[in-house]
Amino acid sequence: MLSPERLALPDYEYLAQRHVLTYMEDAVCQLLENKEDISQYGIARFFTEYFNSVCQGTHILFREFSFIQATPHNRASFLRAFWRCFRTVGKNGDLLTMREYHCLLQLLCPDFPLELTQKAARIVLMDDAMDCLMSFSDFLFAFQIQFYYSEFLESVAAIYQDLLAGKNPNTVIVPTSSSGQHRQRPTLGEASMLEGVEASLFYQCLENLCDRHKYSCPPPALVKEVLSNVQRLTFYGFLVALSKHHGINQALGALPDKGDLMHDPAMDEELERL
Amino acid sequence: MAAVEKRRPAVAPAASFPDSGRPAVSRAAAATESEEDFLRQVGVTEMLRAALLKVLEARPEEPIAFLAHYFENMGLRSPANGGAGEPPGQLLLQQQRLGRALWHLRLAHHSQRTAFNNNVGVAYECLSASGRKKKPGLDGRTYSELLKRICRDHEAVPLDVFRAGMLTCFVLLEFVARAGALYQLLEDPTLAVADRRVGQAVLDTLEGALQASDGAAVPACFLEAGSRLGPDSLALAMDRALVARRPSSPMTREEFLEKAAALFIAKVKPVG
Repeated sequence: MLSPERLALPDYEYLAQRHVLTYMEDAVCQLLENKEDISQYGIARFFTEYFNSVCQGTHILFREFSFIQATPHNRASFLRAFWRCFRTVGKNGDLLTMREYHCLLQLLCPDFPLELTQKAARIVLMDDAMDCLMSFSDFLFAFQIQFYYSEFLESVAAIYQDLLAGKNPNTVIVPTSSSGQHRQRPTLGEASMLEGVEASLFYQCLENLCDRHKYSCPPPALVKEVLSNVQRLTFYGFLVALSKHHGINQALGALPDKGDLMHDPAMDEELERL
Repeated sequence: MAAVEKRRPAVAPAASFPDSGRPAVSRAAAATESEEDFLRQVGVTEMLRAALLKVLEARPEEPIAFLAHYFENMGLRSPANGGAGEPPGQLLLQQQRLGRALWHLRLAHHSQRTAFNNNVGVAYECLSASGRKKKPGLDGRTYSELLKRICRDHEAVPLDVFRAGMLTCFVLLEFVARAGALYQLLEDPTLAVADRRVGQAVLDTLEGALQASDGAAVPACFLEAGSRLGPDSLALAMDRALVARRPSSPMTREEFLEKAAALFIAKVKPVG
């Protein structure tokens, strides 16, 4: 929900916050693709239906991947659609492989990249054998984190690697008067005696990341919560914790709590009608 | 705004989300040309420009929903709306009007006082234009429906509003009853209508009496004013009307009562 400050924003920023121009351009593209079917007065109707579908979150169905990931709202809508379409998989207690989940994703988005599904699966399976079976809810929540926060996770991965290698992104390197070489922390061999990275240091770096970058990040307060429970953690340990955190799920707002995953009265009603 | 039709590359850093990957379909220059022509011809360019300006003017909290309503209203106003040739039923019209009024009301945040007041005025007009009845304002049912839609579960009418409303209603009923009695006096028993000149004279006297009681703060004073119309002053007014050589035409009971009620409603003071 935009704050009243939106009234003071310059025009361009206000529009950018809700990606108004993105949707308008897409609406025009869609119109052009369907122009044979539309009459003069049908255009207003067309735009009405388009924007209504954006509001309801059905606009992302069967669209290309570049559109689906274009805005946070699109991503959330896609997650929600995936849940509603395939929750029966979870209901029956079926366990599927990564490839099978990928097929389901491709039903909704024909050019969905395999790489993304693989990354999501890696969160659930903790980098173990990728042919393992996963439950619907495990996959869904891991997929949510991976898909919605893609850019954030990439940066986090880079930070994690840096910390592992002993480089602290936060330190200020002051050139010494002598050779000007940086002094580095102990080499990888020593540091790898302990698994993962130190949680509090990790959090500091992430906090900076969230401040610096404009793209979607999980709420910093909740990230802090995740990191405050442990002393050290691995990258995938962190991702798993993110995916299982109820607060983060709620903040995202796309999926219900894990316990309510099977509960969708609206969908049930629609299915009854068929 | 010509850029709206073309697919644009990734937007400037002000965007809170990188608009990566525009649809990668590349089209020949000629095809783009004809597309632009098509869009201009069917009026899409103008339509979107107007829509965007409206969005920037109103700065709604949910611009996408705003746009959906905007185009919906545009669609409603167009002639080819369903094409059956049959005018939509009263209920549908009322729903449309309500929808439109709601849309106007939501255009500006209430802190933008001038814009908000303006929109309230437009919404009021939109709802008052209810076809056959010429009475000003909207009827109670429409008003309640509107409140329900805005407030949903949180609707609550405060006591003084309720009291004023109830009192006014009952006073109006009594007023109409007395107006009816007045009419009966004017009525020609054989024709069952009254002479227009006489009826109008009565109404004018009534209006005068009401205006005289303008200083009053309580609706009950109107009752007094009504009953103050004794036969003497009325008789004088009626005499005068008959003497003036204007052609006579009938005035029905309904018309008389309607005009009388209108006089009353025009006098009702707003609450608070």
